[in-house]
Amino acid sequence: MLLRKMWRDLLKNKVQFFSIFIMSFLGIFVFSGLDSEVSGMDHYEGVYYENTNLYDICAQGMAFKNRHLSKVKYLKDVKEAELRFKTAGKAELSKEYDLQMLFIDDNKISRMILAEGIPYTPGASGVWVDINFMKKQGLSVGDMLNMKLNGISFGQEIKGAVYHPEFVYYVKDVSAFMPDYGEYGFVVMDTGSYPLDDFYYNQMVIRSSVADNTGGLDKDEKNRLSRLMNEVKYVLDSDEVILTDKDADLSYQTFRAEIEQHASMVYIFPPIFLAIALLGIITTMTRMTAKQRVQIGTLKALGFSKRTITVHYASYAFFLSLFGGVLGAVLGYFTIAKYILGMMNTSYILPKVNTVFSFKSYAAVLISVIISSLVSIMACRKELSPAPADTLRPASPKNLKHSLIERSFLWKHIGFTIQWNLRDILRNKIRTIMGIIGVLGCSMLIFAACACLDTVEFITTWMYGELNTSRYSIIMNEGVSYGDTAEYAKKYKGQMVSTLGCEFEAGGIKKSGNITIPDRGNYLHYQDRQLKHIDLHEDGVAMSYRMSVLLGIKEGDMFSWHIIGDDKWHTDRVSDIYRNPSVQGITMSRKRYESYEYSFCPQTIYTNMDPVKELKDDDNIAGVQGLSEMMKAMDAMKEMMYAMVYIMITAAAILGIVVLYNLGVLSLVEKNREMATLKVLGFKSARIRSILQIQNVWVTLLGISCGIPFGIVVINILFGTMPESMDYVAKYSEKSFIICILGTFVLSYLVNRVLSGKVKTIDMVDALKGQE
Amino acid sequence: MKPFIEFRNVEKKYMIGDNAFYALKDVNLSIYEGEMVVILGPSGAGKSTLLNLLGGMDSPTGGNIFINDHDISKFKDDELTVYRAWNVGVVFQFYNLVPTLTAYENVALMKDVRKNVKRGSVWEKDNAGLELLDPKETLASVGLADHMDQFPSQMSGGEQQRTSIARALAKNPRLLLCDEPTGALDTDTGKEVLKLLQRVSSKQKHTVVMVTHNSSFADIADRVIRVKNGTVNSIITNDEPKSADEVSW
Repeated sequence: MLLRKMWRDLLKNKVQFFSIFIMSFLGIFVFSGLDSEVSGMDHYEGVYYENTNLYDICAQGMAFKNRHLSKVKYLKDVKEAELRFKTAGKAELSKEYDLQMLFIDDNKISRMILAEGIPYTPGASGVWVDINFMKKQGLSVGDMLNMKLNGISFGQEIKGAVYHPEFVYYVKDVSAFMPDYGEYGFVVMDTGSYPLDDFYYNQMVIRSSVADNTGGLDKDEKNRLSRLMNEVKYVLDSDEVILTDKDADLSYQTFRAEIEQHASMVYIFPPIFLAIALLGIITTMTRMTAKQRVQIGTLKALGFSKRTITVHYASYAFFLSLFGGVLGAVLGYFTIAKYILGMMNTSYILPKVNTVFSFKSYAAVLISVIISSLVSIMACRKELSPAPADTLRPASPKNLKHSLIERSFLWKHIGFTIQWNLRDILRNKIRTIMGIIGVLGCSMLIFAACACLDTVEFITTWMYGELNTSRYSIIMNEGVSYGDTAEYAKKYKGQMVSTLGCEFEAGGIKKSGNITIPDRGNYLHYQDRQLKHIDLHEDGVAMSYRMSVLLGIKEGDMFSWHIIGDDKWHTDRVSDIYRNPSVQGITMSRKRYESYEYSFCPQTIYTNMDPVKELKDDDNIAGVQGLSEMMKAMDAMKEMMYAMVYIMITAAAILGIVVLYNLGVLSLVEKNREMATLKVLGFKSARIRSILQIQNVWVTLLGISCGIPFGIVVINILFGTMPESMDYVAKYSEKSFIICILGTFVLSYLVNRVLSGKVKTIDMVDALKGQE
Repeated sequence: MKPFIEFRNVEKKYMIGDNAFYALKDVNLSIYEGEMVVILGPSGAGKSTLLNLLGGMDSPTGGNIFINDHDISKFKDDELTVYRAWNVGVVFQFYNLVPTLTAYENVALMKDVRKNVKRGSVWEKDNAGLELLDPKETLASVGLADHMDQFPSQMSGGEQQRTSIARALAKNPRLLLCDEPTGALDTDTGKEVLKLLQRVSSKQKHTVVMVTHNSSFADIADRVIRVKNGTVNSIITNDEPKSADEVSW
């Protein structure tokens, strides 16, 4: 029978209880949606790397012989090792496309996975091609693929379309910051298919027994791999060899960082919804139990135990949060998780990745249910503790005291409307706080959504309008002499730039990144932390902001660096800190670079003259990229942002409407008698409505002014957890502030408009009848 | 004969600031099983407090209350709950039905009461054989067979009070407590309710204790206890109680 009572009470107070339900639902919906996606990526990342046996350590920088391989294989912690040759070549189709070429002896470590065709066996002829490249270029198994390596053309029959664990994420070159799959790719061939006679092994990949392939590398694994790298270095006995663990691999690192970034978002939004659900429970249950005081007393008098009555009142919140949570978990899994994962599938290339419903989602439902029930019990406790005889009597009226404001001399001068609203707020603090938090959440989401768009827009203009003002970049082929490159630069009035892989160390922290050496020119510009233009010290070593944060150093601090391929470490002082969205490391002038007795070998020329037609078939040129092409790569990212923005705006609207409507109804019910009295006294409905609107405006203003700072925090978290190679500056324009403020106000106004319409319908006679 | 209920020097004191206010002081009385007792007194005399103590809805601040030889003044909250669940049926002046439950559901609620209290208590043994009555039959016995599915808001005051009595009777309690049961009813309906209570006492052998400020009801009681200023003023035994039809007010 008590269940029936509960059900009918729920129906009677449906607006309030629905808001609790919807907030419990939304909290778990977002949590389970994001968590199922993150858990899915995390799980299938591990499965994929485990199945493909991704390498732990990669050795390069020297010519490897089989005797090196035997020595390394002999090490205790080495499970397997393979030699291979990795180089850059071209595919000759309608035009030339960049290809990463892998020549292998075996397919045991970093195994390619066949999507279509026949599997690779050692010694087999033919080529196994990047599945994205094949799709985009319309290639199929059995076709002949013409390729070019060091100027020599050769062809191989396509034997299969493949996935490769080292190509989950790959960009054309380090300066590109979004992938554009299919416009470049990778191919795998047997070493026997190498077309030239200068073959040597330039890489050794090692699989160890001290690290696994699931969940990223933890500190212990990193330390053990570091020890193993020392052992490998010792047995290889070479000054040139460079050893890196898989964390330095762009594909591995970026995918991992993406998973971790998503994981950090899992906990941002749900607590807001849960907090509002809990406030809803407090206001609704306190009010309901106060209203049902005599019923509670009667139940006690009839012999119901306190426990039974407590359980009865806790069950309202219990069932609402349980049903809301379960529905949220299921729908979150099937909508948000699938949707975001679908988008991830365009950035990260894995044969299979799916959502995974993790224990965390079960735990979230459980925690939400427990907290909601406990809060409900706390809210009811006041009416449940006294003896039945006391509860059967009506509650003694609240001992109202004059608040500080009411005692101040200002009080008399502020007018009835403000007095009335101030009193109402002070006497219904929880209701007001709940309103403010609801508006806060709503404006925070709108603001964060707008700021996401601002940031993406900004990054594009920042990168291609402020930091790099050239319209074309000419990428030189490997091995082109400095003299030839300089000739091109002269012809196109360009600025030559060299970018090399580099490793940094400060205070025991090691990070890999790039060294950028710009020659004289006007195309590359630098900005400090606050994005103000700076000129780097002519003779200094400047460090990118993100790298300085990763290393924990600032201007004037010392750090060490060495170029990948050169074992010699240099120690320098940071002369400037600059920001760059896509390349992290250090920048120094050509003069400074040459003072270390390195020779300047630029790979890129930035220019404003259009070289596309002239250089199309130039053997010295690897490619020419125009501004529009580079901007296009941003489109995928923008698309993803738009999807996020839609989700956030929808959540904001639901949050705002539900909370404000609920509070409005609550306050109307509570103030029914007061408003009826005002009507009897001769106040017009319009005047009463305006009194109610004022409070709404206050709550909305307060909510927005707290919501915007929270929005700023949220987008900083969002963009602060980007991969280590990226440095995105969270941006928000005046437009975002205006949209946020106006959007929230319009929403709040509309809800209130609907609600205050009910003032007209207040029946004076009915409302003022004696309270039976 | 041994009394079913016995108050010995019962006191109920409230502290208002530093001042003590006695709602009941030095109350001594006995009630026998199957009696119909009317407690009479003006407003504020302590009648309702007396009834609350008797029903285990409140505890005295002094003295002892024996029900069937158990001193309920020493009971803890849990034990009082069990006592109420097994022994007491209460009828309120304003009926106190659960507004979201129908007449039938309000009466059937008593199944939940017994289900949720500790088994094997002294009361269960004392009251062996006093099983719950069928809610439908009980409602029919108070003349509400046709109102089972109505919500309290759809019924008249008299119907609501009869539902309330049915709810109290469904427990088959040894003690039926009524707090101004006709207070909110017109004379004719009030008489119907009184007749019902009288019948319960005489036919079903329930002990009925009714609190009222209406002295006309003194005539229908087996015994009349007059209370004034928190003390028992007089206890009068009625050798020949009248029928409810014969009283008027």
